[in-house]
Amino acid sequence: MVNVQLYGVARLQAGVSSFTSEAKTLKELRGMLPNITKKEAEDLVVLVNGSGVKKSYKFKDGDTVVFLSPAGGG
Amino acid sequence: MATEYGGYMGKVLRINLTTREVDEYPFSDRERELFIGGKTMAAKILSDHFKGTEQPFSDENMMVITTGPMTGSGAPSSSRFNISTLSPLTGYVTSSNCGGNFGYYLKKAGLDALIVQGHCEKPTWLEINSGKVIFHEADDFWGMKTGATQEALDEKMKLPNGRVRKNGKICIGPAGENQVLYASVVSNERVAGRGGVGAVMGWMRLKAICASGNKEISVKEKEKMVAHTQKWFKYLRKHPLTGEQLPKLGTAGLVSSMQMKGLLSTKNYSEGHFDDFELISGERLAEQYNIVNKGCLTCPIRCSRTVEVEGKAVKGPELETLVLLGSGICNNNLEAVLRWNYELDELGMDTISCANTISYAMEANEKGLWDNGLHFSEIDDLSAVMEKIAHKEGIGAELALGSKRLSEKYGGTEFAIHAKGMELAAYEPRKAVGLGLGYAVSNRGGCHLNGGYAVILEGLGLSVNPTTYHGKADMTMLMQNLMEMISASGQCLFTSYAFFPAPLMSHPNSWYTKLVNAVLPYCGGAVRILNKFPEIAAIHLPVFHHTKGFEYVTGMKMPFGRYMRCGERGYNLERELNRRFGVDATKDALPKRLTDVVQDPKDPNSKVPLEKLKQVYYHARGWDDNGLPTKKLLQKLNIEAK
Repeated sequence: MVNVQLYGVARLQAGVSSFTSEAKTLKELRGMLPNITKKEAEDLVVLVNGSGVKKSYKFKDGDTVVFLSPAGGG
Repeated sequence: MATEYGGYMGKVLRINLTTREVDEYPFSDRERELFIGGKTMAAKILSDHFKGTEQPFSDENMMVITTGPMTGSGAPSSSRFNISTLSPLTGYVTSSNCGGNFGYYLKKAGLDALIVQGHCEKPTWLEINSGKVIFHEADDFWGMKTGATQEALDEKMKLPNGRVRKNGKICIGPAGENQVLYASVVSNERVAGRGGVGAVMGWMRLKAICASGNKEISVKEKEKMVAHTQKWFKYLRKHPLTGEQLPKLGTAGLVSSMQMKGLLSTKNYSEGHFDDFELISGERLAEQYNIVNKGCLTCPIRCSRTVEVEGKAVKGPELETLVLLGSGICNNNLEAVLRWNYELDELGMDTISCANTISYAMEANEKGLWDNGLHFSEIDDLSAVMEKIAHKEGIGAELALGSKRLSEKYGGTEFAIHAKGMELAAYEPRKAVGLGLGYAVSNRGGCHLNGGYAVILEGLGLSVNPTTYHGKADMTMLMQNLMEMISASGQCLFTSYAFFPAPLMSHPNSWYTKLVNAVLPYCGGAVRILNKFPEIAAIHLPVFHHTKGFEYVTGMKMPFGRYMRCGERGYNLERELNRRFGVDATKDALPKRLTDVVQDPKDPNSKVPLEKLKQVYYHARGWDDNGLPTKKLLQKLNIEAK
């Protein structure tokens, strides 16, 4: 099981801030984000336990996965 | 002086408050071509007068309030005006930029700029109607907060039929009246916050200026501009930053990204992460507190939030305020930040400098250097502390001096987070070293925007290696020049983010974005060629609508290369001006916490390699080893040295 967190515009679109998932891979999880298509999910920055990972990353139990929209302007 | 160019009103007015003399200040078309408007026009005017011996609180100082040729032209986000003066906080020339509608109404009054000198014997406010200046006593307003002042001014602007004459205004609050060194100038709900411009206005005993009129703001090629503006609006609305993130989350939307990238200044910049960041995030602000989005005149971005405080709908906090009064002081109470943000605007005080001064004081207390009663995460009394600062009462009289002066008195210069005396913005630069350079060399002191905002490349918009020094100096110079010119022209700097092609921001995992992220640090040489010979770009870039828009409004030829050269001229002019007041390489400094202590013990590069960055930067700028523009460079840029 992985903990999934969403931030930025993606979170407003998803309508949820976090959820848990049984997804085994990042590729699989990208298709499971609420109200976000897989194509849109491919354009989100992903961090697993605070670090960037490869597209083919396979989750370990307890991983924290963050989906983040690119941002700027302050 | 009359002008052949569109966008300008052709008149700069000089007001001497001591003698009440008003005259036109000569500013020629040749000067408009070179120094454009906004902060650069102001720097030119100040440069013609300042020798380097002047003091901020004296009749020798002057406040120059400028618009740009794009102000009020209908171009996107073109409502900006600028206030430049000798800063009491830094001792150098500062420029403070503001949205709202004052710039527009100053032009409707027939003026491109105001020069205010001298001081009033009694509190005064100025009415400027179609170029005519009327002095009014402001005894009744003195002591009022900024909201009440503006309401009272509207009462004074009532026409016989009971309607309020359309006007734009600026005013100070108690902090400005009492010359708090980081007092701001407020215009509606927008703020010219930085550098203590409000303190100078307070010293002059000038409570407010109210501008109105019905002069036409000319646009040279109207039809072309209308068509171009439609395309420009469309482009900004489609861009992921200006069309998505900023409208939906405001600048507050950056909190989460900053947390993920180690950029979230926490506990007086001792850390880059805050465990409770979600509680002060832009997402929470949007989901639970934002009532409505607001924008300045002709702005498609509409980045401003509206929240409820004490039953009133008021402006919500920007990113800087959220972070520096949130994680900066270990506070996770968002409602308290909303309230302080409102209170600081009402008192007329810069939220950034105020917050950083408080976090310095908390750390000095924690370390046993100064027994001041302030503690990280203890926030119950902070409203009262802010009120005391504005009135310089008790501990407030000391906090009103800013973190630099306090650290010189009590110790802890290594954790007084300022550059040239002005407190840094919310981004922790040890995980964005290009921004660290920008903070240090910025003309007005610790400013992320005047510093070039390299953090947009270093982890927010793009993901260039944030801790390498490669390429950062040249990119910083490019961004500084670009933003300098956007500001001079009278537009909001947020429009500059569209300079980064939308696909790079929209598709961060694409091969081309990854390639740009990997290659950009090694493109310093190519960027330097563009910086050095911008005229080779004698074209209009498809992603950068500003240049064509500028041509249509003014009638001045302005390909991208010339646009960049004007920005470079502005940056160097301010540097040359500050040289007279003692700026050199030694003043381009950051506190040791940021240059000598790593943020992440596992990452030896997580500190700002400032000296190395400065060397490359000075070389790129064509400055000497002491960080000063050479005579040859100044001559090339048509800048007169004194």
